[in-house]
Amino acid sequence: MNTISQLIELFPYAIMGSVLAGIICGFLGIFVTSQRVVFLGAVLTQVSIAGVAFSFLHLINFEKLIYSLFGTTVTENSFLHHSEPAFFSLLFAVLTVLVFSQTYKQKFLTQDGILGTIFVLAIAIRIMFIQKSPVAEVSEIETILKGDILFIGAKEFYTLLIILFFTVIVFTIFSKQLSFVTFDAESASAHGLNSQLWLLFFYLFVGVGISLTTRFVGDVFAFAYLIIPSSIGILLGRRLWQVFVIAIIVGAIIPPISLYLAFRFDFSSGPMAVATAFTLFLLIYGVKKIST
Amino acid sequence: MNKEIVKLKDVSIGYGKNVIISGINLTIYDNDFIGIVGPNGAGKTTLLKTLLGSLKPLAGKIEKASLRFGYVPQRDIVQPLLPYTVYDVVMMGRFSLMKLFQYPGKTDKEIVEECLKSVGIYFLRHNNYNSLSGGQRQRTLIARALAVKPQILILDEPTNGMDTPSHYSLLDLIKELHDNQKLTVIIVSHLLSDVANITKKLILLERNFFQAGDIEDVLSEENLRKTYSSNFLVTKVDEEYVITSKHKEQQT
Repeated sequence: MNTISQLIELFPYAIMGSVLAGIICGFLGIFVTSQRVVFLGAVLTQVSIAGVAFSFLHLINFEKLIYSLFGTTVTENSFLHHSEPAFFSLLFAVLTVLVFSQTYKQKFLTQDGILGTIFVLAIAIRIMFIQKSPVAEVSEIETILKGDILFIGAKEFYTLLIILFFTVIVFTIFSKQLSFVTFDAESASAHGLNSQLWLLFFYLFVGVGISLTTRFVGDVFAFAYLIIPSSIGILLGRRLWQVFVIAIIVGAIIPPISLYLAFRFDFSSGPMAVATAFTLFLLIYGVKKIST
Repeated sequence: MNKEIVKLKDVSIGYGKNVIISGINLTIYDNDFIGIVGPNGAGKTTLLKTLLGSLKPLAGKIEKASLRFGYVPQRDIVQPLLPYTVYDVVMMGRFSLMKLFQYPGKTDKEIVEECLKSVGIYFLRHNNYNSLSGGQRQRTLIARALAVKPQILILDEPTNGMDTPSHYSLLDLIKELHDNQKLTVIIVSHLLSDVANITKKLILLERNFFQAGDIEDVLSEENLRKTYSSNFLVTKVDEEYVITSKHKEQQT
C-alpha cells in the first residue's frame, strides 16, 4: 500500500499517461495486426527515434525555417525549439508510411523484406546521427531518444490525451471505411470506395500516432502495446467491438500494474510493462488452448 | 434485343507495359449471362478488373452506362483476422453507397437481411465469417455484392476449391439470381464445363486470343484448341455440354 501511494505521489502523470499510451497503442494495434503488418509498428518506432536523433544534428534550423515561411524575423522561441524532435520524428514516420504504401505495386520484394530494410536502416542512421550530434554524449541522447514512461509530465499527458481523442474520433467516424478496406480492399475498390486512398489515410494516421506515442513511452513499450493488447483482443473477442474493448482494457490496465511492479522490484518501467503484458498474453493463450 | 450497358472498343488489357490481350471488341447487354474462361494467366481477372474500372485499359475505349457493380472476389483472398459476423460482412456492401458521415439505417438493415435470405444464409447471420465453410463464405460474399443492389454481378472463380455438392449448389444459386432477379452476371472460371452449362454467352481468353459470343457459336473444338493448345471433344448429352480431352479419349 505504501509503495502504491508513493508511486501515485511521485509519478501521477506517468501512471495516467501510461494508461493513455496503452489505450492508444491498443487501438492502433488492431489496425496494424488486422493488416498483417505488425512489423510496420517496429519500423515506425525506430524511424521515429531516428527522426528525433536527426533533430539533434541541428542541420536544419527549424525556428528560422518557420519564421522565414511567414516572413518574420527570428527570435528565440522555446516552443518551436522543443517541437523540433517531434517534428522530425513525425516527418520521418510520415515519409516511411508514404514509401511503404507504394510498395504493394511492385512484385520484386516482399513487404516484410522492405520493412526489414527500413528497420535496420533506421537503426543505423540513428547511431550515425547521434555520433555526429554536437549537443551531448551518445549515452545521454540514447536515453532521451528512447523515451520513458516515468518521464511523462503534465505536457506529455495532455498531448497523449489529444492523440487518444483523435484516435477514437477517427476510428469511430471512419469505422465503415476502416472495416471494408481492411477486410477486403479489392472488393471495396470494386464497389466504389477508394481503397488506396483510405488505406493511405489510415496508415498515415497510425504512423503519426505511433511516432508521437513512441516519443513519450519509448520504442519497447510502444511496439509491445501495439501487438499484445490487440492480439489478446483477437484471441478473446467473438465480435469486432469485443476485440476493441478487450484491447483497450488490456492497454489501460497493464501499464499501471507494471509500473507498480517496476517500482516495487526496481526494474525499468518499459521492459516491465512488456513482460507483464506478455505474461498476461501467455496466460490467456494457454487457457484458450486448453479450453479448445 | 436488350439494352447495351458496356461496350469495349479495340481495348488492350494488361499491367504497365505488359499487354496481355489487345483488340478486344465486346458488347455486354442488360440481363446477359456471360462466362469468361481460359487457362491460368490468360488474363481473365485482368479483364474483370478492367471492366470494373480498377485497371485502366492500356488502349481503346470502354463505354459504360451509369452502372453499379456487385463484385465477388476469389474467396481465398479474403482471410480476415478480425471476427466479423456474416451480417457485418454483408453490411459492407451498403457502405459503398453511403456518404462519408452516413451510417446504416433501417433500409440498409432490411436490404442486408433480404440479401442474406436470397442466398440462403439468413440463419448464419450472427456467425463468425471465419467459422464458415467455403460454400457459406462464398454465399456471404455474394450476399455482400447483392447488397450493393447491382446491375451487374461479377464473380471471380466462385467455385474454386469447393466440394462437389457446394460447387453445384452455388452454380444453381448464381443461375437462380440471374433468372429471378434479372441480373446481368459475369462469371470467371477455369472450369469450362461449369460455365458452358449455365451461361448464355462465352468469352474464351488466351494471350492474344479473344473470342466472344453465344455459347453455341464460341464453344467449338477449334476455338478450344486455340485457347488451351490442346484438343477437346465437345458433345451434348441431355442438353448438357460434355467437354472431354481428346487425349483421354484416345487412351480409352
